[in-house]
Amino acid sequence: MEDSHRLSVHRFRKMSMGKPKDGDLQLAAMADKSKPGAASTALVEYAGPVFKEEEEDLEIKLRRIMENVPVRVSNTSGSSAGSGLGDFHQYRQMRRKEPDRLAISPALWPPSFTAMAEKKRATHPKAKSLKNQKKSSKKIGDSDMKRKRSGPRLPNSMRKELERLNKTSSLHNSDNEDIDSDEGNDFYEYKEPLPQEESRKNRRYDPVDNYEYQLPDNFEDENVLSDDDDENDYDSSDRTESSKQLGDEVEDDDDERHMRMLQGITGMPSKVFEGKKKKKKNIVMSEAYPESEFNPSRDVLEGSGQITIEDLLEPLQGKAGYSKLRKRMHQMDKKSVAIQAPLPKVEQDKLERKAVYEFSKKDITKWEPLVKMNREAPTIVFDEDTNIGFSTVGAIASGFEPRTEFEKKMATLVNDEKVAEAHKEDGARLLEMNKISVEDYLEDRNHIAKMRSLLFRHEMKRKRVKKIKSKTYHRLLKKDRLKAASAESLMDPEAAKEEARKQEFKRAEERMTLKHKNSSKWAKRILKRGLNTQDEGTRAAIAEQLNQHAILTRKMNSMKDSSSSSSSGSGDSSDEEDIDRNSADSEEDGASKLLAKAKEKTLKILEEEDEIPNSGVLSLPFMVRGVKKRKEEAIEEAKLALQEYESSLKEFEGIGEEENSKAGVTSGRRVFGAVQKEVSEPNKKIKTDNYYRNSDSEDDLEPKENLEVGNRKNNDLQKDVNINSVLLNEDTESHQDSVFKSFDEVVRDSGPKTSYDVSIFASGTWKQMKSGNKMDTDTKKPIKDTDAKKPTKVVKCVWDNQGLEEMNDESNSDSDDGEREMVDGIISSEPKASYKLPSQEELIRLAFAGDDVEEDFQKDKEKILNEENPVPEKPYLLLGWGQWTSFQQKKGLPSWMVEEHENAKKKREDAMKRRKDARLKHVIISEKLDEKAEKLHTKTLPYPFTSKEVFEQSIRVPVGPEFNPATAIGALNQPEVKKKSGVIIKPIKFEEVNPHEKTKDHKPHGQKQKMNKNKGVSNRRPKSRPVVVKS
Amino acid sequence: MKVKVISRSADEFTRERSQDLQRVYHNYDPTLRPQEKAVEYVRALNAAKLEKIFARPFIGAMDGHRDGVSCMAKNPNYLKGLFSGSMDGDIRLWDIANRKTVCQYPGHQGAVRGLTVSTDGRILVSCGTDSTVRLWNVPVANLTESDDSSDNSAEPLAVYVWKNAFWAVDHQWDGDLFATSGAQVDIWNHNRSQPVNSFQWGTETVISVRFNPGEPNVLATTASDRSIVLYDLRMSSPARKVIMRTKCNSISWNPMEPMNFTAANEDCNCYSYDARKLDEAKYVHMGHESAVMDIDYSPTGREFVTGSYDRTIRIFQYNGGRSREIYHTKRMQRVFCVKFSCDASYVISGSDDTNLRLWKAKASEQLGVLHPRERRKHDYHEAIKNRYKHLPEIKRIVRHRHLPKPIYKAAALRRTMIEAERRKAERRKAHSAPGSIVNEQLRKKRIIKEVE
Repeated sequence: MEDSHRLSVHRFRKMSMGKPKDGDLQLAAMADKSKPGAASTALVEYAGPVFKEEEEDLEIKLRRIMENVPVRVSNTSGSSAGSGLGDFHQYRQMRRKEPDRLAISPALWPPSFTAMAEKKRATHPKAKSLKNQKKSSKKIGDSDMKRKRSGPRLPNSMRKELERLNKTSSLHNSDNEDIDSDEGNDFYEYKEPLPQEESRKNRRYDPVDNYEYQLPDNFEDENVLSDDDDENDYDSSDRTESSKQLGDEVEDDDDERHMRMLQGITGMPSKVFEGKKKKKKNIVMSEAYPESEFNPSRDVLEGSGQITIEDLLEPLQGKAGYSKLRKRMHQMDKKSVAIQAPLPKVEQDKLERKAVYEFSKKDITKWEPLVKMNREAPTIVFDEDTNIGFSTVGAIASGFEPRTEFEKKMATLVNDEKVAEAHKEDGARLLEMNKISVEDYLEDRNHIAKMRSLLFRHEMKRKRVKKIKSKTYHRLLKKDRLKAASAESLMDPEAAKEEARKQEFKRAEERMTLKHKNSSKWAKRILKRGLNTQDEGTRAAIAEQLNQHAILTRKMNSMKDSSSSSSSGSGDSSDEEDIDRNSADSEEDGASKLLAKAKEKTLKILEEEDEIPNSGVLSLPFMVRGVKKRKEEAIEEAKLALQEYESSLKEFEGIGEEENSKAGVTSGRRVFGAVQKEVSEPNKKIKTDNYYRNSDSEDDLEPKENLEVGNRKNNDLQKDVNINSVLLNEDTESHQDSVFKSFDEVVRDSGPKTSYDVSIFASGTWKQMKSGNKMDTDTKKPIKDTDAKKPTKVVKCVWDNQGLEEMNDESNSDSDDGEREMVDGIISSEPKASYKLPSQEELIRLAFAGDDVEEDFQKDKEKILNEENPVPEKPYLLLGWGQWTSFQQKKGLPSWMVEEHENAKKKREDAMKRRKDARLKHVIISEKLDEKAEKLHTKTLPYPFTSKEVFEQSIRVPVGPEFNPATAIGALNQPEVKKKSGVIIKPIKFEEVNPHEKTKDHKPHGQKQKMNKNKGVSNRRPKSRPVVVKS
Repeated sequence: MKVKVISRSADEFTRERSQDLQRVYHNYDPTLRPQEKAVEYVRALNAAKLEKIFARPFIGAMDGHRDGVSCMAKNPNYLKGLFSGSMDGDIRLWDIANRKTVCQYPGHQGAVRGLTVSTDGRILVSCGTDSTVRLWNVPVANLTESDDSSDNSAEPLAVYVWKNAFWAVDHQWDGDLFATSGAQVDIWNHNRSQPVNSFQWGTETVISVRFNPGEPNVLATTASDRSIVLYDLRMSSPARKVIMRTKCNSISWNPMEPMNFTAANEDCNCYSYDARKLDEAKYVHMGHESAVMDIDYSPTGREFVTGSYDRTIRIFQYNGGRSREIYHTKRMQRVFCVKFSCDASYVISGSDDTNLRLWKAKASEQLGVLHPRERRKHDYHEAIKNRYKHLPEIKRIVRHRHLPKPIYKAAALRRTMIEAERRKAERRKAHSAPGSIVNEQLRKKRIIKEVE
C-alpha cells in the first residue's frame, strides 16, 4: 500500500509542523509541494481495477484528504508558533480548550477513524520512526503536550479501526470516508498559522480554493462568533480558528447525521444516497492527466458529492441566529459566481505587458501636439537666459572695493556700524551723531563770516572801479596791466610763452569768427545809417575795431612791421590823445591823414598863390599873363586835386568796411608784395577807362546801371591809393554785370544805341528775334507766338551754318520751298482719290513693296539653324599636312578627311531633320541649350515639395540684404535651430499645447509669415524650454 | 519745372565712431535689381565652397587611458565635464575646454562597461564586468580649476556587488533611479545596495539601456537576442519587445520628442522608431560601413551622432536617410562610444585607440564670440545655401566628402552588394507568379516581429 504509506508520512510531517521550530516548518512546506504531484502519479498507476470496492473507497478518501492537504499547510497556530501572531487570542483559547478536547477525543471519535489510523500505522512502521525523529527535535515544553495528545491516542484508534474494519458493513464505508477526511482535517487544522495572503503570494493555487463551501472572509468572522453558540457541540468547541475548519467538522458530522436523517425520513437504504459518490468514484478512475495545481481533479470541478452549506446549516436549525445565517447564505448563493482558474503565468505576464504598453502608449501620446508644433516651426529657439555674473548696476556696485585714500575714507564712513545702525533704527540717532561742540561751531561760523566779508569787500571795490568813467584812468590801467604783462614776459620766458600762446589763440579765434569785422549788430547798424552821420567817437570805435581785426588776422611775420608802423604812426600823431588808437593805427588811417595833409597843403597853395609879386621880371605884363595862365591851370589842377581829395576822403570813410570785408573773404592773412602789384596794374587801366567814362557820362549811366556811388568813388580813389586789389576785381565784375544788363536792355529795346560790340555779344538773341520776325512775315498762316517758337528754333539751327548777310535771302527761299512741298503733298493725294481704289492685296503689296517678309524669315531661320547646328568646315588642304605633298597633289584630299566631312554633313542633316521645326515653315523653335540657365534647374522635383509651383515659389523672393530692408532680413535668414553655444539644453518638458489656438494664430498671418517670424518669439515659455517661433 | 535737390542731413550720416559703417540707403525696388536670383545663386555657390574651405571639425584628442575607451558620460549639469571609462577599469573625468584629465577614479577590476551621471551632476555611477555598481562623488566644478590631474582620485561612495556582470547603466532624468543591464535589467536607487526592481524577459543578455529623458519612467533596452524592449516603471513592467534581424548595440531617445528613439544596429544602419508603433521603423539612417556601436542624440533633438566599427563618426538629421557629416582621422580606430555635448555644439568620441576626440558638430562653424554682423552673414549664407541646395552644382559641393580609402572601398563594395541583391530580388520576382513575392519596405524588412 504505497499510497497509504505516503499519507502517513505526510500526516506525521504535518504533526511535526505543529512545532514551533522554523526548520520544521520549512521541511513541511517542502513536503507539501512534492506531495500532490507524487500522489497523483501514484493515483494513475493504481487506477487499474486492482482493489476491492472497499479499498477503492478508501482510496477516494485518501485522495480527498490529500487534495485538502495543501490548503491547510500553512496554519501552525496550533503550537507556540502562533504566539507571536496577531491571532494570539485564538491561540490562547485553543490552548485552553486543548485538555478538554483530549479528554473527550478518544471516546467520542468515530471508531472508523481510529481503526483507519491504526491500520495505517501498523502497515507503515517507517512513518512511525520518522515521526519519532521529528518529535525529538521539538521543544520540550510543547512536546509534552503533543505527546499527550497524539502518543497514546493513536495506537488506540488504530486498534479500534482495525476492529471496525473487520466487521464493518458497506453502509459504514461511507461514514468512514467522511470521518476519514474529517480526520485529515483534524490533523492539519491546528497547523495552519500562515495567513491566507501569504499563501497567495506564493501563488499556490490550490484546488481547495475552489470548493464551493469556502466562505469569504467576512463569513469567517460570523462563524467565529457562532462558535460560542455552539459551545456544547463537542467538535466545534475545539476548533474555533477558522470558518473552513469549522465547516469541515460540521460537514463531517452533518453528513453522517444527514444520512441517518434521510434514512429515517425516507426509509430508503443509505445506498440510494450514496449514488452520487459512486458516480464520482468512476470519474476519478478515468482521470487521464496528472493532478496538479493547474489541473484540478474532476470531482472538484464538477462539484458533485460535495457538502453544501445547506448541509452545514441544517444542524444549526432552531438555534439562535440560524435564520439570519440562512438568509445571508441565500443572498450569497444568488450572487455567487464561480471563480475561474487562474491563467498560466506566461499568459498573465503577456496580458500585463499588453496593458502596460497600452497605457504607456496612451500616456506618451500626450506629447504629440507639442512635438508637432516643434517640428513645424520654422525656427526652434533654445535661448536660455544665462547668468553673466552681474546684470544690474546694484550688482556691479556691490562688487566695488575702495582703492584710493579718499575712497577708503568714504568707505569707512559709509560702512560705519554706528551710522548703519542709526539708519536702521531711527532718524533721532542720526541727529545725535551729528552733534558738534560749541567751539567747533563758533570757529566754523567765524570762518564763514570772514570769508563772506572779504568777498563783499572785493565786490564793492570792483563796483567802484567799474564806475569810474575816466578814460585816462582806464587807459592807464590797461597800460599798467600791459606793462606788467610785458615785463613779466620779458622776465619770465614761461609767461612770454603763455602770452604768445594767448595771442595765437586770439588770432585763431579772430580768423574763425571774424568778430571784429563789423559783423556785430552795432557795427552793422552804424554802417547802415552811414558813417558820416556818426560822431567822432563812433567812427573811431569802428576804425579801432577794424584795426583790431587787421592786427589779429595779419600774418605772423608782419606783426612787427605793423607794430613799427603803428609806433611811427603814433610818433607822427603824438599830438593825438588816444594812445590805443594810435598804437593800432592802420595804413588806411595813415592814408586818410595823408590825404588830409595834401588837402591842407593845396588849400594853402591856393591861398598863397593869390599874392602876385608886384615888382621885377615877374611883374611884366606878359610874365604876369603867363604866370596867371599857369596859376589858373594850377588852381584848376589844385581844385581838381582838392575835389579829388575830398571825395576820396569821404569815400575812404564810407568804403572802409567793404574794403575790409573783401580782404577777409579773399584770405585770412594779407599778402603783400609783387603779386598784388601785378594784379593791380591792369586794374588801373580799367580803372582809368571806367573813371573817364564814369566822369564823362556819369549822369547818363547812373540811373541805368544802378551802380553804387561808393563803388564809383572807390574807383576814383584807386589811382592814388592802391590798397585793395580784390575790391578792384569786384568793381570790374560789377561793371561787367552792368554792361550785360545794359546789353539786355538795349536788345530788348532794339534801339539805335546798340553798337557793333553789343551786337556781337548778343548775336544769338538778335538773330532769334530777326528770324522770329521773318517767320511771322513769311509764313502766312496764323500761328500764335507761342506756337511759333518751335519752328523758329528749327530755322535757327539751319541758319547757324549760314552767313549773316545771306540770311535774309536764304530764309526767304527756304520758306518758299517748304510751302511748295506742302502744297505738293496735298495736290498729290487729291488726284489719286479720284481713281478707282486698288484691292486690299494690292495695297498691302504696295505698302510693303520693298520688303519680302517671307524671304527674310527664311534667311533668319537658316541663320539660326546654322548657328545651332553649324555647317561642318570644308576640309582644308595644307601642303605637307596629313600626307606627303606629292600624294596630296596627285590625289587631292586624303580620303579620311573627305569621309569625316561627309559624316559631319550627314550628322548635321540628321540633326536638322530631327528638329522640331523641321517641317514647320513659318516657325523657329530654338533648341539651343543655355548652359548657364541649366545650372539653375533641377532634374527632378526635390523631396519635400509637392509641386513645381511650390518649389519655384520657395526660391522666388530674394533674401539678401540688398533686396530687403534690414528689418526683414533677420526674419528671412533665420536658421532652423537657434542656440547659444555654452548653454546647456535641457530635454523637453511637458506643457499643454492647444492646437486650435495655434491654427487660429496661423490663418490671419498666413501671408505675412516671413515677416512675423521673429516677432512671434513667445516669451511666455520658461527659459530652459525650447522656444518655438510661431509664425 | 520742379528740381529735386539731393539733400542729406549731416546728423544722419555722421558716425559715432570711426569703426562704424557708413550709412547707406538702398532703394529696394525690385525693378532696379533684376538679377537677384542669379546673384543669390552665385552667393550660395560661394557659400558652399567656403563651407568646404572652413570645414575643420577636429578640435583635439584627449589621451590618458591605457586601454580602449568603452564608455562615456556627460555631466548634464556642467558643460565642461566628461567622464570616460576604459577597458582596463580606469575612469577619468575630463575638462573638455582644455582637454585635460581633472580627476582619475580608481575604477573597476575589469572593464568599465557603463557610466552615467545623475541629473544634478553630483554622483557618477559606473558599472563593469566585475559585477559591481560603484557610485562616485563628482568633484565640484570650482575645484576642477586647480589643475592637478590624477591627484583627486577618490574612493567610491558606495560599491554594490551583484550577481552578474553589467553591460550598461543609465540614469533617470530628474530622479534618483538608475538602471543597469546585464543578465537582466535592474532598477537601482542611490541608497540601496540591492536593486529596487528587476525585469527579465527572455534569457539573453541585455547590452544597453537608456532612460527616456522626456518621459523619465520609460526606458528602452537592447538585448543580444536582437530585441529592443520598452519598460515602464510606473507599472514596473516591461511593455513591448520588437525583434529585429540583427542586434542593436545601442539606443537613444530623442530628448525633444519623447515618443521617438533611434537604435544603432549591427547591420550598419540606424533605425528610428516611434515607441507607439514598433512594427515598422520610421526612418532608416544609412551610411556606415560596419556595425554602429553607439548613438547619442543632440539635445536639440534635430540630429544625432553615431560611432561605428568602421572607424568613422557620422552625424545624421533626425529624419535624414543619409548622414549629414562624416568624421574620421588617420589614427582613430574603432569607435566605441560617442556623445553630443550638452549645448549641441560639440561631439565627443571614444575609440579603441585609447583616445577621446573632440569634434565640432558643424564642421565649418566659427568658434568664439561672433559679432552680430558676422552672425548675420553666417545666417544669410546658411539661408541661401539651404534655399539652393537642390540645384545640382551646390548639391554636389555640399554633399562631397573625402573618405579614407578603406571606407570608400567598403562603401563601393557595399553598394555593389546591395545592388546585386536588389537585382536578384527583382529577377526572382519577375520569374515567379505575380503577387507571390511582395516587395518589402526597408523600414519593415529588418523587423522580425513585435512581441507582446
